[in-house]
Amino acid sequence: MAEVALRQLLVCCGTGCLANDARAVADALETALQDANLDISVERGSVELKRTGCNGFCERGPIVKIHPDDVSYYRVKPEHAESIVASIGAEPYKPLLFRGDDKQPVTRQVDNPFYAHQTKIALRNIGQIDPLNIDDYLQAGGYLALQKALLMPTDEIIAAVVASGLRGRGGAGFPTGIKWRSANSYPSLPRYVVCNGDEGDPGAFMDRSILEGDPHSVIEGLAIAALAVGAEQGFLYIRDEYGLAVKNVAAALQAAADCGYLGDDICGSGRKLSLEIVRGGGAFVCGESTALMSSIEGYVGEPRAKYIRSVERGLWGQPTVLNNVETLANVPYIITFGGAEYAKVGTAGSKGTKVFSLVGKVKRSGLVEVPMGVTLRSLIYDVGGGIAQDRPFKAIQTGGPSGGCLPESLLDLEVDFESLLEHHAMVGSGGMIVMDDRSCMVEVAHYYVDFLCGESCGKCTPCREGLRHMRDILAGICAGHGQPSDIDELEELAFCLQEAALCALGKTAANPVLSTLRYFREEFEAHLNEQRCPAGVCPSLTVMQVDSEACTACGACFKACPVGAVHQLAAVGAAAAVDEHQAGNDKKADKPRYEVDVMACTACGSCREACRFEAVKAVKKEAVCA
Amino acid sequence: MVEKTEAEQIQEIIQHYPGQRRHALAAMQDMQHCFNYLPRAGLVALAEHMHCPLVQLYSMATFYKALSLKPKGRHIIKVCDGTACHIKGSMSMIDGVQRHLKISPGDVSADGQFSVETVNCLGTCALAPVLLVDEKHFGKVTLGQLPQVIDSYKPGGGNDG
Amino acid sequence: MRLTIDGVACEAEAGEFVKAVAERAGITIPSICHHSALPGLAACRLCLVEATPAGKRTEVVTSCVYPVSEGLQVVTMSERIQRLRRTVLKLLICRAPAAEGRLAEYCQEYGVQNNFTPPDPDEKCILCGLCVKACEELGPAAIATVMRGVDKQIQSAFAEAPTDCIGCSSCAKVCPTGKISCTDDGESRVIWGKRFHLEKCPVCGRPFATSEELAWLTHRQVGESLDLTLCPSCRAQQAAKQSVRG
Repeated sequence: MAEVALRQLLVCCGTGCLANDARAVADALETALQDANLDISVERGSVELKRTGCNGFCERGPIVKIHPDDVSYYRVKPEHAESIVASIGAEPYKPLLFRGDDKQPVTRQVDNPFYAHQTKIALRNIGQIDPLNIDDYLQAGGYLALQKALLMPTDEIIAAVVASGLRGRGGAGFPTGIKWRSANSYPSLPRYVVCNGDEGDPGAFMDRSILEGDPHSVIEGLAIAALAVGAEQGFLYIRDEYGLAVKNVAAALQAAADCGYLGDDICGSGRKLSLEIVRGGGAFVCGESTALMSSIEGYVGEPRAKYIRSVERGLWGQPTVLNNVETLANVPYIITFGGAEYAKVGTAGSKGTKVFSLVGKVKRSGLVEVPMGVTLRSLIYDVGGGIAQDRPFKAIQTGGPSGGCLPESLLDLEVDFESLLEHHAMVGSGGMIVMDDRSCMVEVAHYYVDFLCGESCGKCTPCREGLRHMRDILAGICAGHGQPSDIDELEELAFCLQEAALCALGKTAANPVLSTLRYFREEFEAHLNEQRCPAGVCPSLTVMQVDSEACTACGACFKACPVGAVHQLAAVGAAAAVDEHQAGNDKKADKPRYEVDVMACTACGSCREACRFEAVKAVKKEAVCA
Repeated sequence: MVEKTEAEQIQEIIQHYPGQRRHALAAMQDMQHCFNYLPRAGLVALAEHMHCPLVQLYSMATFYKALSLKPKGRHIIKVCDGTACHIKGSMSMIDGVQRHLKISPGDVSADGQFSVETVNCLGTCALAPVLLVDEKHFGKVTLGQLPQVIDSYKPGGGNDG
Repeated sequence: MRLTIDGVACEAEAGEFVKAVAERAGITIPSICHHSALPGLAACRLCLVEATPAGKRTEVVTSCVYPVSEGLQVVTMSERIQRLRRTVLKLLICRAPAAEGRLAEYCQEYGVQNNFTPPDPDEKCILCGLCVKACEELGPAAIATVMRGVDKQIQSAFAEAPTDCIGCSSCAKVCPTGKISCTDDGESRVIWGKRFHLEKCPVCGRPFATSEELAWLTHRQVGESLDLTLCPSCRAQQAAKQSVRG
C-alpha cells in the first residue's frame, strides 16, 4: 500500500525563485530527503517534496515551506538542504527564518508581516500545490465549481458573478457578470471566450504567477465563463516571453481534457469546450481587447474602433467574452462559495481582493493579494516594510503606463477602482512601484511616454504623433533645454490623446504625464527654470560629488564607479591636517580622499548607492563644471 | 545523423499547422525559436501555405517584438527596462552593457556571439534590476558584476556551450 | 431611425455611420482618411464630433465609424471639437509638411501653425492606411503597414519592388496627400519602383491598364463576362449600343 505522506516540503519554483537557483535547491532537498528517509523516525513520518508556484515574496527567494507545520525558509541555498530536512518535525532551522526589523526570527507565514495583511482568493492555491499535478488541484477543491456550474441554469451562473461584484482585473474594471450577460443577449452563434494573459504592464507579474502556479484555476474560470455565455471554443492568449506559464498551462489543458473537464462531453453533461493557447507576439497594445482579437485571428495587433463592443462582435465578428487571468482565477471561488460571500470583502464599488506587485524602492517586494480598500500606506509600510534604506518616500506609481504617480499626501487613500481614478491614477493590472527621493518624476514621465512610443500600434494620429512630440518635449526638459511653453504644450497634447485617440491605450497614454505634472510640477519647473534635477538622476544636469566632511574614506564609491570617474587622492599629510577644519582629526588625515571627475561622471548613481554615509551627493552639473 | 536543411526545417514547422491564417503567428514564432530569426524563405513558404499575401506576414514580422528579420547573436542579453528595473538603474545597466560589448541595443556583436536588447518587463520585478541571458535570469545585478556575467558567455567562458 | 445633427432632424438606416448621414443632410465634417468605398479606417481622427446617445453621456467620437442610434444627438462643431481638430491638424502637418490636397486647406481654415520641428520636411504620408485598404480590397494586397508606433511606414514586402503588385494604381488614386508616385508615359507605368507595360484599347487606342491588372481582373471575374480588352469608356459605349440594339 502506498504510504500517505504526512508532511510536505514545498519548494517555490516560480520564475523569481528559479532565477535564484530554486531548481538546484529542490534537487538538493530531494537527495537529502532520500538519504534521511532511510532512518526516518515514526513520529516524523514520510515526507513528500513538491515543486510549487510563486509564493510572492520573490525578493527573498528561493522559499521552502514545511507543511502542515507552517515553517517557511527564505534565501535557501542547496547547501542548506540537510539542515532543512533535519528540521522537519523538529526545531526550525533558525538561520533561514524570516527576520523583520526587530531581528526576531519568524517561523510561521501568518506571523510574517509580508503575509499577515494578505487575503488570498485569486492566489489561494499558489505555493500550496504542484501546478503540474491535477490531483493537487482536485484535492484543493478544484473543478467542483465547474461541476456545480454544469447543474446551474446560465442565468444563475451569471447572477452569482453579478452578485459577487467582480470587476475586470486587467485594467478597465468592467463588471464581469454584466459582460457575460451582455454577450449572452446576442443570438449570434458561435460565441467565444478568451483569457487575456498578455500581461504587458511593466512592473506587474500577477498573471504570470497565476498561470505558472495555478493554471487550472484559470482554465476552470474560463470553462465556467464558456458555460455562462454558451461558448464551445476558447483561447488563452499568453505572452510568449512567459515560457514557464505557457508550458504549465499547456500541461494543465491536457490534464483537464484527460480528466473530462474539457472536450466534447464535459463531465458527462454533453457540453463541449475546446481551449487552446495562443502565444502573444510581444506587443503591449495586444492587451487591448480588439488588438488582442486581431492578433488571435492572425493579423497585426491593431485595435479597431470599439463603438460596437466585443461582446457583440469580437473574434471573427462573433460575440466574444474576454476576461483577464486574475479575474478568471476568482470565478471558481465565487461559484463555490456564492457571490455574496465574495462580496463581503472589499469596498462599496470594488469587491473582493486585488493582487498587486509591490516593487521598487520598498524593503519587502513581491506579489501580494489584499482586500480592495487597503490604504497605500498599509501596502507600503505594513506589507512592504517601508522604503528601502529608510529613505524618504516620494511617489507610488500605480496601474502601469495607463496609470499615474501618487504623492505622499495621498498615502491614506483607500485603494479601489474609483478612488484611484479620482486621483488621476488607476488600479490597472495592479503594478505598485514605490519611488524614493532618488527618482526623478520628469524622467519617470519620459520613461512611460518613451515606452508607449515604442508600443503604440501607430494607427491613429494622436497616439502615434502626439506621443512622439510628448517624448521629444520631455527629453528636452530632462536634458535642460526645455522651453517655458513646454508644460502647456504637454497638456494640450494630453487632452488630444485622452479625447481623440482610437483605443484605450492611446486614451490613457497621457496619464503618467498628467499625474506627474499635477503632483510634482515643481520638479518640472526646476528642470525648466533652473536646469536642475532635484532627484539627481538626469545625466545632462547632474554630477556626483564626494562631501569630504561626511566621507569616511571607505572606498565604496571608488569600487562602485563603472567608468573610473572616482579618483583616489593621496592621503592628506599630517602637516596639512593641522590647518583648517582637519585639525584634531588625525585619523581622517591618514586616509585617502576621494573626488569625482566631473567630466568622466555619467551620473549613474552607483557611487551614491554604494555610500553608506550619505557622503556622495548629486549636484547640479553646471555649478561644478563652471 | 544527417542535418536537416533550412528548407526542410521550414517545411516541418509550417506543415505542423493547418493552412489557416490564425496559425500564422504561431508558425512564425516557431521559426524564430528554431533559427533565432525569420528567414525570408520561411515567410515566403508560409505565405504560400496560408494562402495569404507575403507583405502581411512581413508586416507582422516587423510589428511583433518577438519576431525579427535579422539573425541574432549566439547569446541574447536582455536588459529589463520595466519600471521597477528602471528606477533601480537599468539605464546605467544598458550603458554598462554597451560599454563592455561596444554594441547598442538591437545590435549583434561583430563576432556574432551576442545580441543586446532592452525588454519591457520580464516579470521578475522583485529582483530588479534584472538581466536575462538566453534563459537564465540574473537578479539584483550591479554594474560591477556586469562584465563578469557577460564574459562567462564568451567563448571558453563558463556559460558558453 | 431618427437623430439630430447640429439641430437638424435626420433619418437614417440602422448600421449607417454619422458622417454619411450628416453629409446627406448637407453638413460637412472634415476628414482625410475617409473614403466612402473603403470605410472603417478611423485613423486620421479629424472627423471628431460630440455624440450623445439617448439617455447616455456625451462622448467625443469619430463620425466616420460611429453608428447611428435612435434619438442620437450630434454636434459637429463645438469649442472642444475645434480645439481637438486643431491639435490633430498640427500633428498631421508636422508629420507630413509636404502633403498635397486637403490637409493644407484645413490647416488654413482652422488657423493651425506648425510650431513643431518636422522629422522630415519632404514627407507627404500621413499613414492613414487608405492605400493599404485599397490594395487589399481591389488588388492583391501588395503593400501593408510595417513596424509600429512612431516608426510605422507603408511598405511592400522586404521594402523591395513588390512582385505581386499589378500596377492598377488604386493606391495612388485614393491617397489623399499625393504620396504615392505613379507615372505613365503612354507606353508604360512606374509605381512602387516597378515598371509595367500599358495595354492600349483596340477601339480608341488609349493606354488604359497594365497587362498584370487585366490578367488579375480576368482571373477574379466570376459570372459576368466583360470584354476586358476594351478601355472602360469604350466598354460602356459598346454596352449601351448593344442594349439599344437588343
